[in-house]
Amino acid sequence: MMAVPLDHYVALAAVMFFIGVIGVIVRRNPLVMLMSIELMFNAANLLFIAFARAWVQNSGQIFAFLVITVAAAEAAIGLAIIVTTFRPQKYVDVDDVRTLHG
Amino acid sequence: MTHHLLGVGGTYPLLLALWLLPLAGAVVCWAFGPQLGRLAGWLVAGLVAASFVLAALSWGAATQNAAGMLGANQRLVAWMPGFDFGLLLDPLSLIWTFIITGVGFLIVFYSLGYMEGDGAFARFFAYMSFFVFAMLTLVLSDNFVGLLVGWGLVGLASYFLIGFWFERPSAVAAARKAFVINVVGDAGMMFAIFLIFAKVHSIGFGDAFAAAGTFAPALLFGVCATLTIGAAAKSAQVPLHTWLPDAMEGPTPVSALIHAATMVTAGVYLVARCAPLWNHSPQAQLLVGAVGGVTALIGAVLGTAQWDIKRILAYSTMSQIGYMIMAVGVGAYEGGISLFFTHAFFKAQLFLGAGLVIHALNNEQDVRRMGGLWKRMPFAFWVMLTAVLAITGVPPFSGFFSKDEVIYGDLQFGHPALFAISALTAGITSYYMFRLLFLAFLGEYRGEVEHGHAPGWTMNVPVAILVAPSVAIGGALMSGGESAPWARFFAPQFGAEMAAVAHRPPAISEGMTSVIVFALVIIGFIIAWWRYATTEAKRDAVPRLAGETAHMPVVLTNLFYVDAAIDLVFVRSAQFLGNFFGRMLDPHVLDGAVRDVAFWARWLGAVVRSFQTGLVRAYALILVFGATSFIVYYTFATYGMRH
Amino acid sequence: MLLVLLIVVAPIAAGALIFALPRNDRTISRGAGTAVAIATFAMLIAARDAQWSVRWLSRPFEAAFHFGTTPVSFWIALLLALCTACAVATTRVARTRDFVALMLMLEGTMLGLFLARDLLVFALFWDLMLVPVFFGLVGWGEHPATAWRYFIYNFAGGLTLLLATAAFGVIYGSTDVIGRADAHLVGAWAPWIYAGFAFAFLVKAPIWPLHTWMPPTYGGLPSPMVSVVSAVQSKAGLYGFIAIGLALLPDYVREYADPLMVLGAISLIYGAVVALVQNDAKRVVAYSSLSHLGLIIIAVASGNRIALAGAVVYIVAHGLFSAALFMVLGYLEEREGTRSLLRLGGLGWKNPRLAGALCIAALAALGLPGLAGFVGELIILVGVYQAGYVWPVIVALVGIVIASAYMIRLYQDLMNGPEVADVPVRGDLTWLEGLAVAPLLAALVIVGIYPVPLLRL
Repeated sequence: MMAVPLDHYVALAAVMFFIGVIGVIVRRNPLVMLMSIELMFNAANLLFIAFARAWVQNSGQIFAFLVITVAAAEAAIGLAIIVTTFRPQKYVDVDDVRTLHG
Repeated sequence: MTHHLLGVGGTYPLLLALWLLPLAGAVVCWAFGPQLGRLAGWLVAGLVAASFVLAALSWGAATQNAAGMLGANQRLVAWMPGFDFGLLLDPLSLIWTFIITGVGFLIVFYSLGYMEGDGAFARFFAYMSFFVFAMLTLVLSDNFVGLLVGWGLVGLASYFLIGFWFERPSAVAAARKAFVINVVGDAGMMFAIFLIFAKVHSIGFGDAFAAAGTFAPALLFGVCATLTIGAAAKSAQVPLHTWLPDAMEGPTPVSALIHAATMVTAGVYLVARCAPLWNHSPQAQLLVGAVGGVTALIGAVLGTAQWDIKRILAYSTMSQIGYMIMAVGVGAYEGGISLFFTHAFFKAQLFLGAGLVIHALNNEQDVRRMGGLWKRMPFAFWVMLTAVLAITGVPPFSGFFSKDEVIYGDLQFGHPALFAISALTAGITSYYMFRLLFLAFLGEYRGEVEHGHAPGWTMNVPVAILVAPSVAIGGALMSGGESAPWARFFAPQFGAEMAAVAHRPPAISEGMTSVIVFALVIIGFIIAWWRYATTEAKRDAVPRLAGETAHMPVVLTNLFYVDAAIDLVFVRSAQFLGNFFGRMLDPHVLDGAVRDVAFWARWLGAVVRSFQTGLVRAYALILVFGATSFIVYYTFATYGMRH
Repeated sequence: MLLVLLIVVAPIAAGALIFALPRNDRTISRGAGTAVAIATFAMLIAARDAQWSVRWLSRPFEAAFHFGTTPVSFWIALLLALCTACAVATTRVARTRDFVALMLMLEGTMLGLFLARDLLVFALFWDLMLVPVFFGLVGWGEHPATAWRYFIYNFAGGLTLLLATAAFGVIYGSTDVIGRADAHLVGAWAPWIYAGFAFAFLVKAPIWPLHTWMPPTYGGLPSPMVSVVSAVQSKAGLYGFIAIGLALLPDYVREYADPLMVLGAISLIYGAVVALVQNDAKRVVAYSSLSHLGLIIIAVASGNRIALAGAVVYIVAHGLFSAALFMVLGYLEEREGTRSLLRLGGLGWKNPRLAGALCIAALAALGLPGLAGFVGELIILVGVYQAGYVWPVIVALVGIVIASAYMIRLYQDLMNGPEVADVPVRGDLTWLEGLAVAPLLAALVIVGIYPVPLLRL
């Protein structure tokens, strides 16, 4: 039985996800963008675990661990990129990093 | 009608040695030429002589006629079923082998003197030796593909030797022309091989000839006609004759050996070798007979209009081979071969005699700048005189007997029109040969060379040796009709064919034809005398000859426009097509179509590219927009299903 | 047997290792490259009937890394090893080390293609073998656009090949089928699969009208690489027609034989007449290749057993003489700085060995009886005629006549005639160069006299 109804988890996850989305679109600081992405990951994690518990299936929890590892890897690569772009100008704005335009 | 069987699968190692010795000479001279120096020439002469000796030793084996198998043979190699290669020595190939190695030896010996001091002495002898090997391959093969290999290799040797002095653009062009026209002949022969193989599943002469009676007439005519293309190209028959006069760019011994005595007679050999095919196809016989007859006449007519001593001889060669081809074409094999045999001696003698003159006059070849040479070079004069008497067919010189057989053969085998052509040609031959003799040797000297090279003994001895057969061999071998040694020698090979016509003698007897032909020869001689050898003709020779040059009929100086026509129809049109394809179609149409595809791909890329701004946040926005669209779409699209 | 795998891997690995040598090294990389190529030659002979296989995919269809020669590909692979050894031995280009490494990778990828017994492996190496040539054109070619043109044309072919392979695998259930006699595909999709294969093969050969990438590529590549590419890479398409088209989809080769034969005949004449008027020596040979390969396509289209035996001989013969021609022309260009027939002339006097080598190669190319090219032409045409096709035989004979004209022109314009004053004449072949060309020329003579092993299929 669940103390908190499933709907609450879903609502919280949706709110967290949209905060993350808006953060990625609006903010120009890559560190904050990275944090926003983490927020979206965690929204997904929350849903995985909530549904796993609701339907008594462990695969959701396993996926949550996978997502955490991917998030860690992604954060490592993302931070490395940020550091390299930060280094020459002591200042980062993602709108200035557009050398890969078509 | 049955034909003699050709032996296959035997062993006769002597044949291998006889065949390969000249190749060894060629390889050695080619590889070690600079080190060998003058020795190269002696080596080749020795090896060719050794080949000749081996051929003589093989006489018995070649003429043996045991168990229906004529001659000796040696297996070589088998490629795949139907492709068996071997060598065959029978009376026909033995005669050719004698001429190739015998006359070949004399000419190689002569070249020792003629080529003395040339920068590429060893290379010359390597080519000569290679030629002898190639020609032996041609005549000793027991199958069509081996014949074709020899056919191609003699063409190559001829190419090398025509272009021997390859710094001269004219020699290079002549060599190229000779080679390409010869490949036309090779292609014709290849087609004949395809026809034969598809029918009998074998390339061997024996299999093809045994089955000749079962060929459909059209197929047999096709085989013979395509073989005729090969024969015409190699033997300079109309209309593939234009390379032979140009081939005189080669050194004179080459002209004597390749372009007179041996290679150009390969067509005669081919027709004689394939006699069983021709015997079954009267249309093919008529075709070859007509080609030969027309060539004999055209060669003789063109010979009257030339001033270059070697070109006169070249046209005479073309004309004489026309005779031979005509004879073997109509079925008079012994006659055609006898003319080949005697022609090899007297024409080699003519060329080598001309070589003596050319050598002595520092490479002067124009008869208008000769004259009166009999006083300066009596030896050359007597050599040329005997050879001219032989070629014009004055009895008892050898040409009389062989030409008589050829011309009478036309009547025997029922071709009176060809008889008329040959008789007329005999008269014209007499005119241009005596014209050459009178212009070069009588009257006063019209040139400037006072002291040229004196020919050494290596040049004089071979010429002197050649005089004997060209004077006497006809009388010794060919007089006496059926019982002559010549007829008995070839009886096992061609006897059946002769027997078939023996019982329907022509209206005119052989003696009568001899009289007619000889009368025409006398007329030709008189005209030549009247134009070039009378006292007043000799007195003001220089202006008279200049006038004659100026008034020469255009059609003769342009060689009946055959050269120009070939150039226009084949060479120019191929070059035009090549330029059109290579410079228009390829870059602008074919590649252009592909470049159009590339252009549109690039345009599409430019359109898509405009979305790639490089702004991470824009990408994120697009991503969110896309994801939202999907979710909205599927939410509402599946709405109905849930309710 | 693992040796088979080693044949494919060794040259690629050796190529990678050569990059470890000092950047400006010449001698060691050249020597090592030659040694590796000779070693693959020896290994090929040792592993003639051996196979090596390991499972790759089981769904959606079975595939395996399956290597081993077929009777046809054995000779092509030997030819490849020989040509590579000869070409590498006398490489004299800028950045020799990198170039030799590329040559070895080219050899390895092409060996992978010819030894592949699995269609998917075949398709894999089909694309891989484009890479070294692409970099060869980028790094040593005359114009970078040529590299892209080469790559895009051939990659488009690779794409249809891959699609056809995938479709074949899905429908038939396995791609481990090369060299198997029982794997025939029929059905509604089979013609489309054949079309996919055929397009790739026709681009690669190349055959008219898909040939326009070839003349600039052959003209632009350095001569050691072009000799291998024209000798062997062009045979990938023809080998494909024999080992895939005729073996797996024989019904459709037969059904669409006429269009194939028409394309072959057009290539034959087209290449020949264009070669007749080219003034760039390498382009003469390039267009002559178009013409010669057209003849092999005619042989394939006829489907006749004798013609196919002849096609194998001619594949080897063409490989030998085109490699020799390009190598000799390369030596000539290194010496004179040009390969224009209009500017060169009369080189034969000072360079008898160079002239001799060019002469033998050109004579083999024009089909002189007694050399390898003639054997191939003759047997192909005997078979094609036997199969009942008359007009292609006549077209081929016309092509042979034109071939004699352009090859003689090539030889004479370079070697004969008066010496040209404005071009330096710098010395004959060195002994090493002679040694490098000699095996190719010797093989031309040997195959010309005794082609029996090639005919025994």
